Amino acid sequence: MTGQSRGGLGRILLLIGRVALGAIFIVAAYGKLRPQLGMPWSIHSLKVSLSLFTMQVYSYQMLSSQAASTLGHFLPFFELFLGLWLITGIALRYSSLLATLSLCGFMAAIASAYHRGLAINCGCGIGPEEQVGPGALVRDGLKFLPLALAVTIGAFLIRRRRGDAVAPSDAAVPAGRRAE
Amino acid sequence: MAAWTLAALGILAAALASHAAPQTTHKPSGASTTVEKPVNAPVIHAPVKVYGSPKAPITMEVFTDYECPSCRSLYEGTLRPLIADYVASGKVYLIHRDFPLGMHKYSGQAARWANTAAEFGQFDAVEGALYDNQSSWQTDGSMEKYISAAMSASDFKRIELKMHGCDPPGPTAAATTAPHPCPVDSYIQQDIALGNQIPVRATPTYVITYKGQRLPPGNGIISWEILKQFFDSLLSQQ
Repeated sequence: MTGQSRGGLGRILLLIGRVALGAIFIVAAYGKLRPQLGMPWSIHSLKVSLSLFTMQVYSYQMLSSQAASTLGHFLPFFELFLGLWLITGIALRYSSLLATLSLCGFMAAIASAYHRGLAINCGCGIGPEEQVGPGALVRDGLKFLPLALAVTIGAFLIRRRRGDAVAPSDAAVPAGRRAE
Repeated sequence: MAAWTLAALGILAAALASHAAPQTTHKPSGASTTVEKPVNAPVIHAPVKVYGSPKAPITMEVFTDYECPSCRSLYEGTLRPLIADYVASGKVYLIHRDFPLGMHKYSGQAARWANTAAEFGQFDAVEGALYDNQSSWQTDGSMEKYISAAMSASDFKRIELKMHGCDPPGPTAAATTAPHPCPVDSYIQQDIALGNQIPVRATPTYVITYKGQRLPPGNGIISWEILKQFFDSLLSQQ
């Protein structure tokens, strides 16, 4: 396989990876924002869903009421934004790094809650309601986090290769200095 | 590359849109449904362990254990202001359900006292006495003195008479049949059975129903500020 074809394959894999990772965050955001109690989509249903998610955030018993409320109203939109940002591929190094750090944060919160013996819903927004525990950690640790890491590393590598490719060529170096 | 991105976005948008419609016209699939039937009403005429009016738009059922510290925190920090404010103003109907855990030595007996007191209209006094003095009676099970201090001597005498022969331990979720049966055990067993339908995995667990639609159960402590915020968001549509 030539360097060029390897680079092409890498970019394709990176595309698939960032779209998949972006989709995960968008689905998570959707799970938190979707209408509850049979309501149709509306500003009111959003308020209800955000308040419900805030309750789940607070149940981790890591934040004050005010902080939990702020995070509960901010996080779903942050996930939506991050998911879309990842899919566009713009500044992928930063978006993927942010995604990786976010996932690490989620896993730390779940692990902390489990360690303290809290039998609470993880509030992840992905799939059916799930309690904090090994299941949620395995899902995040074995599926999502490796993907995020792979995309992050890939984004940095691709960027570095692009940087090497546009470096001044040897032809620009005077002949007398080439032996150094 | 831009074309691929747009294609991916389009596919994702279509997938999300297909799930965006409210789930009222077809059977929800899987365990992620948010449209659920209310918990079945008890078939036994249980003593009154409720606060407020059943006509309130929001119903909150709370499954608790009197020896559970988190349940105490919930009661002191959240349920008390809830009762004083939103229950009193007819916004919330609060139902207490007993779910004594097997790991708590005296919680079954505490539930017996609460249910017996409920038969005489003294449930709120006993509930408050049990939670307020939890750290004291949970060491040796001596809850009677705190219960008696929460009501008149005559009321306590009647309750004590009814509790005659109801030797500990009381029924728990781990062992619903107590070695020394008590007339109120059936109410506790009924609550435990209801809790197992949810299912209750830990206490406190609360189930909120709004206009007949039940939310997935919530666990753990919830502050009054945040619960109030949630109730306000539900009620703001009215």
